Amino acid sequence: MLKIIVPIKQVPETGNVKMDPETGTMVRDGVVSIVNPLDLYSIETALMLKEKYGATVTVLTMGPLNAVKGLKEAIAMGCDDGYILSDRAFAGADTWSTAYALVNAIKRIGDYDLILAGERATDGDTGQVGPNIASGLDIPLATYVRKVNDLDLEHKTITVERSVEEGIETLQLPLPCLLTVVKEISYPRLPTLRGKKKAKTVEIPVLTAEDLGLNREFLGLKGSPTRVVSTKSPKVTRNGQMVTIKDDQDVIEAVDALIAFLEERQLI
Amino acid sequence: MTNYNSITPEIVAKIAQIVGAANVILDEEKLEAYSHDETPKDQFSAMPEVIVTPTSTQQVAEIMKLANELLVPVTPRGAGSGLSGGAIPLHGGILMAFEKMNKVLDIDLQNMMIEVQAGIVTNEINAVVADDGLFFAGYPMSLESCQIGGNIAENAGGGKAIKYGVTERYITGMEVVTPAGEILKIGGKIVKDVSGYDLKRIYIGSEGTLGIVTSATIRLTPLPKAKTDLLVLFPDVQSAIEIVPMIVSQLGIIPTSIEFMDRLAVETSCKYLNEHLDYESCGSMLLIEVDGTTQDQVDGEAEMIGDLCMEHHAIEVYVADNYTTQERVWAVRRNIAEAFKVYSPHQSLEDIVVPIAQIPALTREIAKIAAEFDLSMPSYGHAGDGNLHTTLIKPPDMPLDQWYILEDQVVRRLYEVVMALGGKLSGEHGIGIKRKAYFQEIVDPHELELMRTLKQALDPNNILNPGKIFDLD
Repeated sequence: MLKIIVPIKQVPETGNVKMDPETGTMVRDGVVSIVNPLDLYSIETALMLKEKYGATVTVLTMGPLNAVKGLKEAIAMGCDDGYILSDRAFAGADTWSTAYALVNAIKRIGDYDLILAGERATDGDTGQVGPNIASGLDIPLATYVRKVNDLDLEHKTITVERSVEEGIETLQLPLPCLLTVVKEISYPRLPTLRGKKKAKTVEIPVLTAEDLGLNREFLGLKGSPTRVVSTKSPKVTRNGQMVTIKDDQDVIEAVDALIAFLEERQLI
Repeated sequence: MTNYNSITPEIVAKIAQIVGAANVILDEEKLEAYSHDETPKDQFSAMPEVIVTPTSTQQVAEIMKLANELLVPVTPRGAGSGLSGGAIPLHGGILMAFEKMNKVLDIDLQNMMIEVQAGIVTNEINAVVADDGLFFAGYPMSLESCQIGGNIAENAGGGKAIKYGVTERYITGMEVVTPAGEILKIGGKIVKDVSGYDLKRIYIGSEGTLGIVTSATIRLTPLPKAKTDLLVLFPDVQSAIEIVPMIVSQLGIIPTSIEFMDRLAVETSCKYLNEHLDYESCGSMLLIEVDGTTQDQVDGEAEMIGDLCMEHHAIEVYVADNYTTQERVWAVRRNIAEAFKVYSPHQSLEDIVVPIAQIPALTREIAKIAAEFDLSMPSYGHAGDGNLHTTLIKPPDMPLDQWYILEDQVVRRLYEVVMALGGKLSGEHGIGIKRKAYFQEIVDPHELELMRTLKQALDPNNILNPGKIFDLD
């Protein structure tokens, strides 16, 4: 049967987010964590493929132990099982170090046909971990996937559409491969009560750095090649352009100017 | 019928002397904006002659004295989010808007009380005490725009009334300006008070006809630390409605909300929001919320309710136990009225209320009426407290004059059914002008006479919000 792995991330819930006016950073105290909203689309894609072709869907996350809640949420939506990578040694990992740990965890989990990741996480906003995992596993990658056209289990290929700047690209990839998906691909389902009950009974194995035999030099803040040197909030300056309309002729000119403005920016 | 005097430049000058010229509005466009509320504008609207925006209780009192002396009607108005025409200046005159009296006067954490001016936006109250783990629990669904003065005038309630009750439960004190221009202070930071008549209750829900509340002392409630929502799909209306009384009576759980939405309501809202819930497989939905002090307790109660639903024909039970998912499911409920306005702007949003156990019978009767008149009549609302927002939607191609005749016939039939089931015309929106004619026909004549006597005793010149709820003659 098809085996799908979905790496997900817990992110701060941003509905009631408060910023520290002095440091310009988010106040994290008391902020609730949720499944990265964009990961719900990769979970949904996996579940749609499961319904159509039959599959087992494994969710995987890295973070503190309370991130198990996110895995259970995914299982309540219909995923089958989950793993959490949790170790103090992982704290402060950048995208490269995170992918290093996830790659080794996926190797430990075993065979897989497809890895489905969200486009990016809403907190870090880099969109790098998905492609990094593909690179670490040395498997084909398609980013910004908006549609799965076909999955050929006999020939072990998947045909997808990906959004590119100038339009849509159709690609066929051999399995196993990794896809990062965008919102257009689906509408995430809600977790069910049956799913919640099942999730309660599913044991989530905890994988540590030692379990995976990871090189400590590549872990956490110390093992991360990226450094956040400083952060600052951008100043938003909107220079609106006012068009005054006095008569019918002005209306035509104003509309023409608006069309030219939008065309120049390729918005229409 | 009182013969009111028109507003003259001399009267405007006198008003300006009291409130200052900056608080007097005569601009035609602005007057228009204050001529209606959230009821359909072409059916219910009237232009004020002048708008005043007082900044103190003293100014309100002076205006009332002036209005009495000159026999000019005064209509108090909150945010204009009302749904019965209560703030429409039916006889012109002065429209008194409270947006400049929007201050927090006192936060008393030890007594868990807050004192605010009437024009504060209701959600502002929740915002200023949220960090202290408190909230005003009696708020209505429009909390982000409505004002507390309007909430008190209408005794507004909302989606959480089954557990938390409505506005009146939380108002412990108030400052009121009488129609004669006297300033009264009633109650205080006390949770019990039987020292004489409970005068607060005369003003709460009086639709601004007996006095003008200028500030209020509000009892605050600890914010629940955990909540879980269930969105339950049922094959038809009856199976959803029948479960409602069972949740409380069989399980002994009082949920925070039990919101009902029929298939048409869900579908219209989902299309409006581009939300892809599985509405095509269901006949109705319940949105049930439980809150409490720990997530485990709340999840346990939610599971018991979910199991009960599954044992009684539910198709599926979805669980929302985090903010993002909860916002997603509540958006469907909150946007129903807006979604129907996009479909057809002409509609009659009803607010009928029956004893909770009569809700199944009520929905059966509504279905019969809809079939008989071949009319789209979605129902949604607070099933947990017997209050349904059945809505009559004008078919988009029906001429307006024909629609008004049909609307009147259907509303009459609906109210007959409601009264036969032991219900009332309005649970939380009020009578205002929208339901006045029906109310006067239906209400017990002795009750109506007592209400008229009260109005005449408190406002002998009938200058405060005249023409609302009932006519005097």
